[in-house]
Amino acid sequence: MTDRPRRKIAGALGEMFRTVVKQPVTAQYPFGKTSLPQRFRGKLDVDPVKCTGCSICEIVCPAGVITMVPVGKKTIGSRQVDIKRPVFDLYTCISCGQCVDDCKFGALSLTQDFELAVFKKKSLVMEKALKIGK
Amino acid sequence: MDLVQVVELLVFPGLTFFVFLAFFFEWLERKTAARMQGRRGPVVTGPFGLLQPVADFFKLAAKEEIVPAESDTFVFRWGPALYFAAPAIGIAFIPVLGSQSVLNNPLDLLFMLFVLTFSTLMATLLGYASAGRYSTIAIGRLVIQYTSYEIPLLLAMVTPAVLGGSLSIEGVVSAQSSYWYILPAFVAFVVFIVAALAELEKPPFDIPEASTEIVGGWMTEFSGNALAYIKLTKNLSYVFLSALAVSLFLGGPGGPVLFSNGNLQAAVYACYFLLKLFAVGFLIFAIKTGLARVRIDQAARLFWTVLTPLSLAQLALVVLLR
Amino acid sequence: MSEQNTGEKRAEAGAGLMQYSTEGMMPFGPVHPSLKEPEYFKLYLEGEKIVHVEPRIGYVHRGIERAAQERTWIKNIYMFERICGICSFHHSLTYTEGVEALAPFEIPKRAKYLRELVAELERIHSHLLWLGLLGHWAGFDTLFMWIWKDREHVLDLEEAISGNRVNKSYTTLGGVRNDLPDGLAERIRTEMAYIEKRVEYYKGLVQSEETLVVRTKGRGRINQDVARKLCPVGPLLRCTGIARDVRAEDPYASYGDVPPQVQTSKDGDIASLMTLRLNELTDSCRMVRETLERMPAGPYRVNFPRSVPAGEASHHVEAPRGELFYFVKSAGGSTPERVKVRTSTLANILTATEMLKGHALADVPVVLTGMDPCFGCMDRISVVDVDKSKEWTVGGESLRRYGIEYYRRK
Repeated sequence: MTDRPRRKIAGALGEMFRTVVKQPVTAQYPFGKTSLPQRFRGKLDVDPVKCTGCSICEIVCPAGVITMVPVGKKTIGSRQVDIKRPVFDLYTCISCGQCVDDCKFGALSLTQDFELAVFKKKSLVMEKALKIGK
Repeated sequence: MDLVQVVELLVFPGLTFFVFLAFFFEWLERKTAARMQGRRGPVVTGPFGLLQPVADFFKLAAKEEIVPAESDTFVFRWGPALYFAAPAIGIAFIPVLGSQSVLNNPLDLLFMLFVLTFSTLMATLLGYASAGRYSTIAIGRLVIQYTSYEIPLLLAMVTPAVLGGSLSIEGVVSAQSSYWYILPAFVAFVVFIVAALAELEKPPFDIPEASTEIVGGWMTEFSGNALAYIKLTKNLSYVFLSALAVSLFLGGPGGPVLFSNGNLQAAVYACYFLLKLFAVGFLIFAIKTGLARVRIDQAARLFWTVLTPLSLAQLALVVLLR
Repeated sequence: MSEQNTGEKRAEAGAGLMQYSTEGMMPFGPVHPSLKEPEYFKLYLEGEKIVHVEPRIGYVHRGIERAAQERTWIKNIYMFERICGICSFHHSLTYTEGVEALAPFEIPKRAKYLRELVAELERIHSHLLWLGLLGHWAGFDTLFMWIWKDREHVLDLEEAISGNRVNKSYTTLGGVRNDLPDGLAERIRTEMAYIEKRVEYYKGLVQSEETLVVRTKGRGRINQDVARKLCPVGPLLRCTGIARDVRAEDPYASYGDVPPQVQTSKDGDIASLMTLRLNELTDSCRMVRETLERMPAGPYRVNFPRSVPAGEASHHVEAPRGELFYFVKSAGGSTPERVKVRTSTLANILTATEMLKGHALADVPVVLTGMDPCFGCMDRISVVDVDKSKEWTVGGESLRRYGIEYYRRK
């Protein structure tokens, strides 16, 4: 500290009065709108049309959100294999976006919805990908 | 004591009026502190958040009261009532509607000093009765702070009494009809404000209540109803000390006479009183928001080495020039 | 701290966590309004003066290093960034760079520049947070509110880049997860100019505001001898005048191209720590701007193999609190064999307890904040059996069984 400013009492007074005349910065959530950046990572969403049931999202999810559930059978060659589709336990989801990055078909995306408080955990289980082709 | 006096004592301008004023002061303090910090303060409860202090009071009153096992249960339970009684009686001596206050006595300035001392004594007693680790440290600090600020406060309060030639608050208020005593006794006013900050345990002197160091200070162990009344008493002391400052230095409810009708004029006087009260309140809010907390030894040093000689000098000056 | 005889120490260690019976001992924590995370400091007081401090850590121990062994390399990024909320990006950065050193793997230059950009943004937000908290714990709530108001600008920038304010999840193995959005470069420059202006104001304020100065000047003083003996890291080391900074000595990301100017200050007390961090803030703003200007075009991410070849690697970065060190060991599989984390607060805690001696109780929050504690980063459990002079680390299951046995015996 080479040159020390003069010590004064109540040195913050000027700044205090400057702050008073400015608009307060509190965002009035939930009574007002808040703006979110475009990349905001909120609730996960799936496009059932694009999903092919490849199970990569289940493998890479760090939080164990995704469970692949068999919804039918198909024949490949001489074998019968399960057709699987994902079920998302969104109450465990940390919105990291790893599944979005790794899905080769672009079926997953993160929306800007963050108001996820519910009364029953079951309402946060997303099963819309189970409907094939819809 | 006739019925009118009782109503005046209990309702207006007595206890109920001052209790509402205490709630309003807390709201004002939180709003101005918030605005100075770039926030909004209470907004949800009531219009502009006006009912927030009331909501806080009722919330605390609804909670369970936990009495520590090692505490002195009698003092712990009944002490807060006495703590509340001190400023509650003191405010009856402040003139609001004119130069007459609800209760008066030729020596009531000395009684005011007693009330202030009694408040601090009760706080110490309550902290001691709590028998908690943090309370013990807090009352040590409280006692040191009290001994430091008492003398400057006393001298600052006596200066207007000397100027007005009377030891009653009414006498001092009436004697300020030509000019307010803040003008000749400005140093005493400053000393009074600083000592009032220490009495109220507001920053920079909120050492006994330092929430980031010793949790709640001497109030740590209180909860529920007792805490609700303790907080109310702190707000009431706030109003009480500001009202004292207004009466002693700013001419109380005095001001230009607008009406010849006695009752309307009394209302006008009450408005003057409130305006001056808020002015002093804002002054204290601004100081409190803008300063950090000092340590107890630094506070003691400030009071003994700076404020006591200043107030002595002011008093001597006033006596000589009289 | 080993001056007490072993009998006393064992008695105390065996008597349970919240020990009240020692006379003159004031427990600071584990739960205390002035600590962000729980730690237990036993302060031995004479009146208001502290004569001895014994820290006791382990309250936030979550077993993260053990959990890392069961998760794949990429899943671990998300776990490690949640060790700490304030230096979150630095944890994930050190981990990814450690794993990339294992491979060994070269990432694109643009990714390195982007990593440095976000790392410096995080340093800015961390120092602002610290300064605000120091104001709050000195009783100056107004300073706290103002500084955190300015910090919101930086957090909004981080949210615009990565999608989240705190756990940014921005690095990944092979680079970063997305590029800067369009138009953000201009906004970054504006915000940096704003931050620099505010930092200048705060520099003036903390040096001149009387009540703040008396709380911080001369408090918690350490000198170079204490520093050499107790080995603190980060700003705590640099405030004694010793100029050590991992970014300058062992550059990672793009710090070789955009190096920091290592700041030091002389007095070793809290006031000089404040000035030091404010200077580092200004330097970080400069680095953000330079990184923006000199960022090369190119890819920001390349593919990374799912399993990592066997080997050991260690990597260290300069987190806002000091040197953060990761040791990563792979056995060739898809999960790490061992990851060890040594955070800066673990290195600083002994220095902090040394700083506290001789001070009054009122100084404890301010001095403890001086080292910028992050106990969530720091915790680990070791059991020392002083009689047999053995030391070992307990695993989760044996600790659980020990706890059950202990309370059954009580």
